[in-house]
Amino acid sequence: MTASTLSAVAAIEVKGLYAAYQRHTVLENIELAFPKGKWTAIVGPNGAGKSTLFHVLTGSMKPLQGSVKAFDEPIAMHRRAGHIAYMAQREAIEWDFPVSVWETVMGGRYGHMRQDALWRRLLPARWHHGRHSEAVRDALIAVDMLAYADRPIGELSGGQKKRVLLARALAQQANILLLDEPLAGVDPPSEKLILSVLRREREAGNTVIMVTHDMPGARRHVDHVVLINRFVRGTGTPEDMLSEAKLAELAVSSTEQTVNDRQTMPGAAYGPAQG
Amino acid sequence: MVDSMLVIEAFSDALVSGLIAALMAVVNLLPSSVSDAFQYAFMQRALLTSVLVGAICGMLSCYVVLKRWSLLGDAISHAVLPGVAIAYLLGWPFFVGAFITGALTSVGIGAIERNTRIKSDAAMGLMFTASFALGVVIISKLASSTHLMHILFGNVLGVKHSALMLTFVASVIAILTVWLAYRPLLLYAFDPQQAQALGFNTQIIHYGLILLLTLTIVASLETVGIILVVAMLITPGATAHLLTDRFKIMLLISVSIGICSAVIGLWLSVVFNVASGGAIVLVAFGFFIIALLFSPKQGLVSRQWRRWRMG
Repeated sequence: MTASTLSAVAAIEVKGLYAAYQRHTVLENIELAFPKGKWTAIVGPNGAGKSTLFHVLTGSMKPLQGSVKAFDEPIAMHRRAGHIAYMAQREAIEWDFPVSVWETVMGGRYGHMRQDALWRRLLPARWHHGRHSEAVRDALIAVDMLAYADRPIGELSGGQKKRVLLARALAQQANILLLDEPLAGVDPPSEKLILSVLRREREAGNTVIMVTHDMPGARRHVDHVVLINRFVRGTGTPEDMLSEAKLAELAVSSTEQTVNDRQTMPGAAYGPAQG
Repeated sequence: MVDSMLVIEAFSDALVSGLIAALMAVVNLLPSSVSDAFQYAFMQRALLTSVLVGAICGMLSCYVVLKRWSLLGDAISHAVLPGVAIAYLLGWPFFVGAFITGALTSVGIGAIERNTRIKSDAAMGLMFTASFALGVVIISKLASSTHLMHILFGNVLGVKHSALMLTFVASVIAILTVWLAYRPLLLYAFDPQQAQALGFNTQIIHYGLILLLTLTIVASLETVGIILVVAMLITPGATAHLLTDRFKIMLLISVSIGICSAVIGLWLSVVFNVASGGAIVLVAFGFFIIALLFSPKQGLVSRQWRRWRMG
């Protein structure tokens, strides 16, 4: 357990995790600890199981085996308490959906609204939910999108869409931010803005975990790197993990994997998976 | 227990007659050529049933359209048939049987999808036709073909008081559920993974929505029948989606279109002596065509007009 010695209590700790889609094993024997208050990048080739890992962490996929804890407690408890925010990939969202930027970001507050009195919950959020509206406002200001609050989300540009998704995660005021490729396909000003927001989140003591393909960006900004390709291929500092040699090794492991896929994986593959 | 049932029954009776009185107050404002048709008790029952069915179908159709559940709605509506038949056989309320077979079918679809290489459209087609066939077989054994025709295509002019009460209770439940669970339903429809990350139980929301769909379909049985109900579960929502970028307004438009098509369709069916279920669906489709052509943002004519003005 070298990973868990990184800090006293990990923000998220994954033990003996196996996950599969139908008969296709995607993650095997994952042992990970994401250090609290740090910025971690998850790096791996396409199809390496990074998004699957996020599906498990957000609870939308049940693992075949293994446990996931947050702050040394069952992660489901922290999800219900609104401690875990998630920023989806742009492709995962239906942008034709008839909601405004404001309503979308308010979605980050829906978890906290369960704690409100019943009569409040039955009213539109704009009327009686001062602290929720304030959180949404702050989040929109942080990503510089307040002027677009009443726009339908379908009218936004690519970078603006990303910023709205980030604002929704920020509005939740969570301790742990899970971000699936927050920098993919954004314009340079949006990228700069997103990076500075994430840096501020870490300075506030929150844990930031992001999937990324952007190696130079990761080298420059993150504290901790996890290399993944079906198995955990390494964890450590950006200098150690993102060296050319390490990345080449990771790429080789990805070609091995496609060879392995043609054979039946014993044990882990057969079980109920859900999408 | 029995006492409280009686109280509830008396209460809902009073509510229904109150609603009919309110509806008639509106209808009597119309020219007598229109309002004359609604002076009979059976027409008033048909009118109230149509309004309720139009409203809840319109409401649910927003979720069906946005969640891409049109085929699932079709599947559930067909799968309801054997349940109705079995309930009829055992003397149960229609809804119980309908929900059991509706739910079994949707679970079956999910199981095939997850555990085999069969894709979801084939899984749905497979399950709902089998279920429907079972219903046809059972009904052909125990009831007349007119009975089957009424279940398949509706018979709103023959709506009994008990059927109206069922529709009324179903509508109240559906509207209350959507109001109370507005946020979880919206979030689930928009981004299920986010709902999951916030600790909402998406399994419960998913099956709750299916339950609501089944409830709506059973409530619509007498009005448009199970074949055409799927049109009422798609058309109003699709029309509203063309007209707005706000979910609440979409709900409002969709419910209005549902109600208007039901009432206009009912009236046309009486005037021209044609099948009311078909007339209702055709009116709804008429609204869709109008929106398709003239919607300010999405409409074909409006787009052409803008292009032409831009030169």
